[in-house]
Amino acid sequence: MMTLAMGNADEKLKILQVGHGEKFKKRLSDMGIYKDAQVKIIKNDIPGPLIIDIKGSRLILGRGQAQKIMVEGV
Amino acid sequence: MEKLEIGLAGNPNVGKSTLFNGLTGMRQHVGNWPGKTVEKKEGTFKYNDYEIKVVDLPGNYSLTAYSIEEIVSRDYIVDEHPDVIVNIVEAANLERNLYLTVQMLELGANVVLALNMNKAADDKGYKINADKLSKLLGIPVVKFEAIDDTGREELLQTIVKASKSPNNVINRLEYGSEIDEHIGQLEKIVNEDISGIDAPSSWIALKLMEDDDEVVEKIKESGKGQRVLSEAKKIRGHLSGIFGDDADAAITDARYGFIAGLMQESVKKPKIDKVTRSDLIDRIVTNKYLGIPIFLLIMWLTFQITFTIGDPLGGYIEEGFGLLGEAITASLGEGFLTSFLVDGIIGGVGGVLVFVPIIFLLFLILSVLEDSGYLARAAFVMDRFMHKLVGLHGKSFIPMILGFGCAVPGIMATRTLENERDRFLTMLIVPFMSCSARLPVYTLIVAAFFTAYQGWVIFSLYLLGIVVAIIVASIFKKTIFKGMSAPFVMELPPYRLPTVKGAIIHMWERGVLFLRKAGTIILAVSIIIWALSSLPIGVDYASQESVTGQIGTALSPIFAPLGFGEWQATVAIIYGFLAKEVVVSTFGILYGVGEEATTEEDAGFIAAIQSLFTPLSAYAYLVFVLLYIPCLATLATIKRETNSWKWPAFAAGYTFVVAYMVSFIVFQGGSLLGFA
Repeated sequence: MMTLAMGNADEKLKILQVGHGEKFKKRLSDMGIYKDAQVKIIKNDIPGPLIIDIKGSRLILGRGQAQKIMVEGV
Repeated sequence: MEKLEIGLAGNPNVGKSTLFNGLTGMRQHVGNWPGKTVEKKEGTFKYNDYEIKVVDLPGNYSLTAYSIEEIVSRDYIVDEHPDVIVNIVEAANLERNLYLTVQMLELGANVVLALNMNKAADDKGYKINADKLSKLLGIPVVKFEAIDDTGREELLQTIVKASKSPNNVINRLEYGSEIDEHIGQLEKIVNEDISGIDAPSSWIALKLMEDDDEVVEKIKESGKGQRVLSEAKKIRGHLSGIFGDDADAAITDARYGFIAGLMQESVKKPKIDKVTRSDLIDRIVTNKYLGIPIFLLIMWLTFQITFTIGDPLGGYIEEGFGLLGEAITASLGEGFLTSFLVDGIIGGVGGVLVFVPIIFLLFLILSVLEDSGYLARAAFVMDRFMHKLVGLHGKSFIPMILGFGCAVPGIMATRTLENERDRFLTMLIVPFMSCSARLPVYTLIVAAFFTAYQGWVIFSLYLLGIVVAIIVASIFKKTIFKGMSAPFVMELPPYRLPTVKGAIIHMWERGVLFLRKAGTIILAVSIIIWALSSLPIGVDYASQESVTGQIGTALSPIFAPLGFGEWQATVAIIYGFLAKEVVVSTFGILYGVGEEATTEEDAGFIAAIQSLFTPLSAYAYLVFVLLYIPCLATLATIKRETNSWKWPAFAAGYTFVVAYMVSFIVFQGGSLLGFA
């Protein structure tokens, strides 16, 4: 188990927990980031936000936000 | 002629506006949703024997009660009963887009699913079986292209057909036996107890299970909701026990599960993800090292193009108003009416209209950058700087960049920020970006005092504006916008070729708003300022004896500690509030150089300015002009965008304080260091 922010480019991961407040958690799940969803990291350059692939679409996610999402390798 | 009403719905960036523009052309009306600050676009078009009204719903990912846009959309579906909801989805992004579709179906909407940008899906190797999808969902599914006419006819036929025989497919949505069972259970009680809410009872049940604030509130208002609410609470507890998560997370999961099932049956995806052209471009554009130079280059080009083309055009407008003024003076002779028209109306409104070409061009380029998908990349590239320095995320950088051209489009561009607090904070700092209107003021004063260091002095002012914006933003972030750092998540749309029509409509919409809304207020204030400068009757226009002159004289001691306590300097500041470049023309009038005020080369004028300031007080004056109260058009735009007088009033007040403080430090500090 690690945070999404620790993942490497091209890594496929499964979301275990979204440790955000209710409101943002809802927003993330509306965009496809929710527990059990699969993500692929497209870009993870430190510092700066990440680009991830969710169900075939690309999302920019702030680094701070990615640090609160727990994932594991698929 | 039969009338139909359709609503266009979909995620942001799926081509909703493109279709809207394609259908309605210029027959559009832009207003606000009643009582909301959300923009409402409507239009009409004729198709065969139908007159079809189109309402463009806000781009949404969901229909929860968390954002005004989402509430607006679902209220529209429930209250207005549109004949058809056309749900535009990006074919390459079908799975995620269907999340919204499913929620509209929950609401009992009569949906037609319109798959857009099918080419991009082909490129990714997706094979979408539209018939299969249609059968599974029970609603029509049409492939079309919003940018041209491909599939338009079929889409329209389908819409008309769907309006005749509406599909209600609530029963087809399957969220697993556990959740479905509870929906049924709760639905029964809703049917028994609740009346007067115009939405499907199964939807109300589902929303209660999700603990949707708005629906809970409505149920409470109905007065008979005790049984329903306590039952809903029990179910929520039960679900979170089973799924080990909130009940609404379980429902989200169930929706995505249902969608995954649909996808499995109707879409074939390649085993290995194909690398698309967008990906290849992004490898360069969002590259760790190249991203920022590319961004700066694009911004530089934007300004080059805007000013190279826009400045001469603005010059023509200026000349046109000059000629108009002369013509009026010639035909009416000197007099009260002439003064009213020439000094008041043309001087005020004309002074602002000179910037219209620049504003329209900036909007045009912005639209192209936005439609192509580049702005999302710019937000990505700039995020780390914005984060560290300002505490805002990358998206806020775009309005700030636009602010260098003109604060008005900059403030309007804050609409792309979905978080209201971020929007307001960005609006408050955009006016510190040194806009093009301030440049003539710099040029004049620099010509009088700093000929040897021209470029550096002007550059220092631009830099100072940015530094002050950063400091102010971080102070606000720790005080009035405390602890409200907005999380950053946004979609990165694939690159697309912008259409000429789309970009022009975009530009037009934004530009006309500026003309209409700001224009009325500017006209009113121009008249007030003119009146104050002409009264009492008999004084020379804007002389020390006029009301303005007297006000200037009375207020000028305030500015003495900043080094410019003369009444003329104060009057110029008062007028500069109308539009910052008016500072220059005010000096022109006050020193009797005449109406043609752009007289930077006029030796007598320069000498007059030199007698008014010392180099140090001149610099303090420039600093003040840079930072003080945003011009009227900017404040009017802030009023429009925030829908309240509170924010423009605050912006005016605090910028005055900031300008005063910084100027004070510059002048007094400079004096202590021995500058004069």
